[in-house]
Order: sequence, then C-alpha cells, then structure tokens
Amino acid sequence: MNGKVMVVTSGKGGVGKTTAVANIGCALAVRGKKVALVDADIGLRNLDIVLGLENRIVFDIIHAMEGRCRLRQALIRDKRVQTLFLLPAAQSKDKDAIMPEQMKELTRELADEFDYVILDCPAGIERGFKNAIAGADTALIITTPEVSAVRDADRIVGLLEAEGIDEPKLVINRLRPDMVKRGDMLDIEDVIDILAIDLIGVVPDDETVITSTNKGEPAVLDGVSRAGEAFRRIAARIEGEDVPFLSMEAPDFWGRIKRFLGAGR
Amino acid sequence: MVFEFMSRVLGKKNRLGSKDLAKERLKLVLAQDRVDISPQMFEKLRRDLAKACAKYVEIDEAGMDVRFDSGDRSLALIASVPVIGTKRNPVTSNRRGNMD
Repeated sequence: MNGKVMVVTSGKGGVGKTTAVANIGCALAVRGKKVALVDADIGLRNLDIVLGLENRIVFDIIHAMEGRCRLRQALIRDKRVQTLFLLPAAQSKDKDAIMPEQMKELTRELADEFDYVILDCPAGIERGFKNAIAGADTALIITTPEVSAVRDADRIVGLLEAEGIDEPKLVINRLRPDMVKRGDMLDIEDVIDILAIDLIGVVPDDETVITSTNKGEPAVLDGVSRAGEAFRRIAARIEGEDVPFLSMEAPDFWGRIKRFLGAGR
Repeated sequence: MVFEFMSRVLGKKNRLGSKDLAKERLKLVLAQDRVDISPQMFEKLRRDLAKACAKYVEIDEAGMDVRFDSGDRSLALIASVPVIGTKRNPVTSNRRGNMD
C-alpha cells in the first residue's frame, strides 16, 4: 500500500489541531479507510485523551523509533472504528528526542500499511514542527477567524512552501455565523483572500466538540453534531469527492426573509 | 455575493464591523511578515527612497508613508510621499554639468 501522509498544522496553539486530527481521521476510518493517527507533539501528549484511548497506551512513538518495541506494538486500535489506529506521543521525553530523518522513516513505514497517515503537529515552528512535517506529502492548515491565528497560518504556508510541501489546504475552525453576520468576525472569503490557499472545510463553533471531547468520542461519531458533519465533509473532500460546503448562513437568511415578510417576530 | 446583495435589499445596515479593521490590520502585518526584511533594512529603503525623490521634488520626509502591501501571496511596495514644492531644474540643480 502506498498511503498518503498528511500533517495537520497551524502555527498557533489552541485552534483545534488535535480535534481536527481525531475527527478527520475517524471520519476517514468510518469510510472504510485504514488510518494511522500520529501524535507528533512529544512531551505534550493529547491525541490519546481526545480519542478516549488514554488508558490503553503501553508503548509510544519513541519506543518504536528506538526499537524498544515493534511499530505494530505501539499502535493502538480504536475499538469503535476498527480501521483507526493511534501512535501516541511520548509524554516523558521532549521534542529533541526525535530527528526529522527518523520521522520520515517512520511515516514511510506506516504509509506502507495504511491508506492515510495523519500527523498531529505541535504548535510553534521549531523542532517539533520540523519533525512533524518531515515525512508529509500534504498539509492541512487549521486556523480560526482571528487575527493571531490567521497571521500564524500565513507563516506556516510560507514555511511549508520552503520545505517543498505545496498547495496546503485550509480548514477554518470555530466560525461563528452570528458574529460574521454582525460584521464582527472575519468571514470565509476574508480568510481565503488573505491566505490565498484552497479551502477544504469550514467547521462551525459548536459545543458538541467540547462535550464529545469530554467523553473521548470524536464528534464525527455523533450524528447530530454540526461540527461532526463539517469534519465528515472534509474527509469526503480529502477522498476527492465534490461535497457542498455546510451552509452557515441559511438559518439567518431565511429568518431575514421571514422578518421581511412580517412572518417572523 | 448574492447573499450580500439580498441582505442589503432586505435592509441590513451596512455598518462597519470590527472585522474590517481586523482584515486591514492583518493585510498590513502579513505584508511585512512576508517580505521578511529587517526594520533596519526597511529604514534604509525608506531613506534611500526619500533621497531619490528629493532629487526631483521637494518632499516632506517626515510625512512619508512607506509600506508593503500584499494580495494573493504577491507583494507591492506602496509609498506615499508628500510633495511640498517642485524644483525648476530638478536634476541639474543637484548635479550641475551632467545634463546637456
């Protein structure tokens, strides 16, 4: 098998990288793809707890790299979605425990067995970032519609370009349609206009992301979660499907029509 | 766009939200980020530009506004240089004898 190695990155921390990795990976696995999620945030392990797999870790990425276990032994299989696997980060080491060359080798090995290898990149642009992107063929850049996140995303676009990872795809996370309506939040077009890269998905700000994280169950497994639906659509687009974007404006638009006709409020 | 048009038709007030400010500020800061030029180099560029302009016209150097602007990952250098007055014989007044 010759799988696709994809890094999920953002520059800025706290914009939803780990949640995106968990959800997009899970959605691809639900579609029947064999998916390996790699937590590349050495020392700040989190993907395990977001996925609800924190109690099943025996070996981690460093053990596998140092040959203290076989790669297969370090991979945790998700019990809900049988084709989803996690390679957890080491919690006790720091980012200098890995070299980019080792990461390249590891992802290559994984790509032999999996359809998708998705790397959860640490925040920042230093060593951890360089490691995480070392083996990647493609990149997803996550941003929120805030000046700081967009600025950092722009920096990441430049750095990825310099590393030969062209045409990264953009995910706009935590969009709040009500604020966009008021003109108090950058809208989708603003962000695309500024970053000048292709959009692959827009995820609304949604409480179900927090509740599903509390439970350790990706929102894509929740049939009614709006964010989950947005992540499922991103997975479909990664697979090459042409899926319409979730309509963020629709409710308000019709609300306005109603008001105009005197039917609402 | 259709939506914008409709909302205007339907009476949405076209007030400026804080996002316009956000976008403007972002565009400026990203232009600077993308050129990756040190403040010292930028200052040198600004001064050289002023010097070059001053050869031909009288300018108000303190009122100059020089910055990078970006669109679609391309860059432009934008300079606004207030002209106080023109010089009758621009270049010759500085470098007499070089012109015929």
